[in-house]
Amino acid sequence: MNQPADIEIRHVTKCYSRGGQTLRVLDELDMQMAGGTFYALMGPSGSGKTTLLNLVGGLDTADQGEVVIAGENIAQLSSGQLARWRANNVGFVFQGFNLLPVLTARENVELPLLLAPINRRQRRAQAERALELVGLSDRMNHKPSELSGGQEQRVAIARAIATAPSVILADEPTGDLDRVTADQVLELLQLLNQQLKKTILMVTHDPRAASFADKIVHLDKGKLGRIDDNPTRPATAGR
Amino acid sequence: MALVPFRYNLRSLWVRRSSTLLTMCAIGATVAVLAGMLSLQQGFATMFAESGRDDLAIFLRNGATSEGESGMTREQTELIKKETREISLAADGKPLAAAEMYLAVRRRKVTGGETNVAMRGVEPMTFQVHGDALQINAGRIPIPGSDELIIGQDLVERIADCKIGDTLVINVTPFKIVGTFRGKGGYQSEIWGDLDRLGEALQRPVRSRVIAKIAPNTDLAAIEARYSEDKRVQPKVQTERSYLQSQTQVLSITFTVLGIFLSAIMGLAAVFTGTNAMLSLVSSRTHEIGILLSLGFRPFAVFLAFQMEALLLGTLGGILGCLMVLPFQGAQTGTMNQTFSEVVFAFRTTPSVMLIAILFASLLGLFGGALPAVRAARLRPTEALRRG
Repeated sequence: MNQPADIEIRHVTKCYSRGGQTLRVLDELDMQMAGGTFYALMGPSGSGKTTLLNLVGGLDTADQGEVVIAGENIAQLSSGQLARWRANNVGFVFQGFNLLPVLTARENVELPLLLAPINRRQRRAQAERALELVGLSDRMNHKPSELSGGQEQRVAIARAIATAPSVILADEPTGDLDRVTADQVLELLQLLNQQLKKTILMVTHDPRAASFADKIVHLDKGKLGRIDDNPTRPATAGR
Repeated sequence: MALVPFRYNLRSLWVRRSSTLLTMCAIGATVAVLAGMLSLQQGFATMFAESGRDDLAIFLRNGATSEGESGMTREQTELIKKETREISLAADGKPLAAAEMYLAVRRRKVTGGETNVAMRGVEPMTFQVHGDALQINAGRIPIPGSDELIIGQDLVERIADCKIGDTLVINVTPFKIVGTFRGKGGYQSEIWGDLDRLGEALQRPVRSRVIAKIAPNTDLAAIEARYSEDKRVQPKVQTERSYLQSQTQVLSITFTVLGIFLSAIMGLAAVFTGTNAMLSLVSSRTHEIGILLSLGFRPFAVFLAFQMEALLLGTLGGILGCLMVLPFQGAQTGTMNQTFSEVVFAFRTTPSVMLIAILFASLLGLFGGALPAVRAARLRPTEALRRG
């Protein structure tokens, strides 16, 4: 799947049980996101942002409704099929970077490529290309503990794009970074969106981070509030 | 299905090397017990099995399972020697066969206490029957008809009054030690003297067996069948090898059963230790499991990754266990054999013992790791990522 992927959420409901109570985190949510667009997903805590991200990424399944990515309803897939689908179609970037501490930067980036039908040499070349793209070609053999927070997040982004997925999902990717580093990471995401036509869905509390997106989706109590165009989006070039 | 790279498991074990080492030690200690018991069993079994020969026939009283139980008259043993045509002949034309008397006698140990020692009354032909397999390492062979003894070399340092020049009193008859000998297997743990003189001193006028050199490919069953029709003597006939193997059976089984029993108990403890270590390992790596699952690794791949890690831990523990027992390789110990006499044998940690021990340890690792591996594989990616 290398074409920009549209994302459709159709009447999706997701509930969690906590302390004997059922929480309706997403409540018959309907929304559409165009392929190749950079979305920022905002809303107060508990509004269902991360839950939506997990459903779109196939990390979790909806209780009701359909999650359609590039025309495929992933809500119908089994856990094994979802695992395969995730490996082929989605790249994740998390707030805590989520790198395996015992592996080097290149080995971390190679991990999702192990799931692709390519040989060792191709895997290594693709991982190195991804690391070059995020500006870390000189840190390939470093372990996460030997990298700064910004570098770790860039390795995570390299891992997310290594398999050339059409969708990148980012959950508070700059939450643990200082402002300068955060801007660099956001610019990188923006670059991936503009040059590689990735559909990016980024959960954030930070309006400044959201300002890097094309559109800002507001969620409230599990329902869609509104989707705003972002008139203040800075241009990547020259920043 | 893509597997989680093995280097991930290797490095994870290295990073957590303290707990890795402790788990390895727990498994290693268990395996050392099993390997130790098996090494004793091997030492005991091979001592007899290796020393037994197929070209020597043992004639016992029909129904006897050992020399201690067997008893034949002088006339009967002479008849066997003279009338069994399959027995090879010496250069002087005499049959290469000898009657022997065997009895376990209580003797004092050098270190204190008492033990049973095998005494064997032999004929001059006994030495020709054994040939080069039996050698005098010091002193000389007893003069036929004299009150002289030779001592198996394994007993010299273990039993009192067994050095050359010493006098060993048997009942009331003093015997002089005139030599020591080396032979394969259990013979090295025996005291030999003249058949008639020892029989008299021990007040045992019967013979226990006839040992004879036989022609290659002799059908011993045919000899036994032929004698079954003879009213004068109906001996039980077998090769020396099969006779000696039958003598070690009970103790070999005892060692094996004891080893398995102790290992089962300790193994259960090691499985719990392994499970506990792996559970804590899974718990501390829940977040990493979430990462692997979120990247698209299937739950079964995660299960295999943790099983591989447990298998590796078990195998390393097994190797450690073998290393623990290897320093005892060749160490000698003594025990009572089936005829209640002291035999000395060496601790033998053979490649097959090590292989069994390592396989056992690997199984311990697999059993210990199964539950944690299932738990890891059943985690939902979101749950696993959240727990980190």
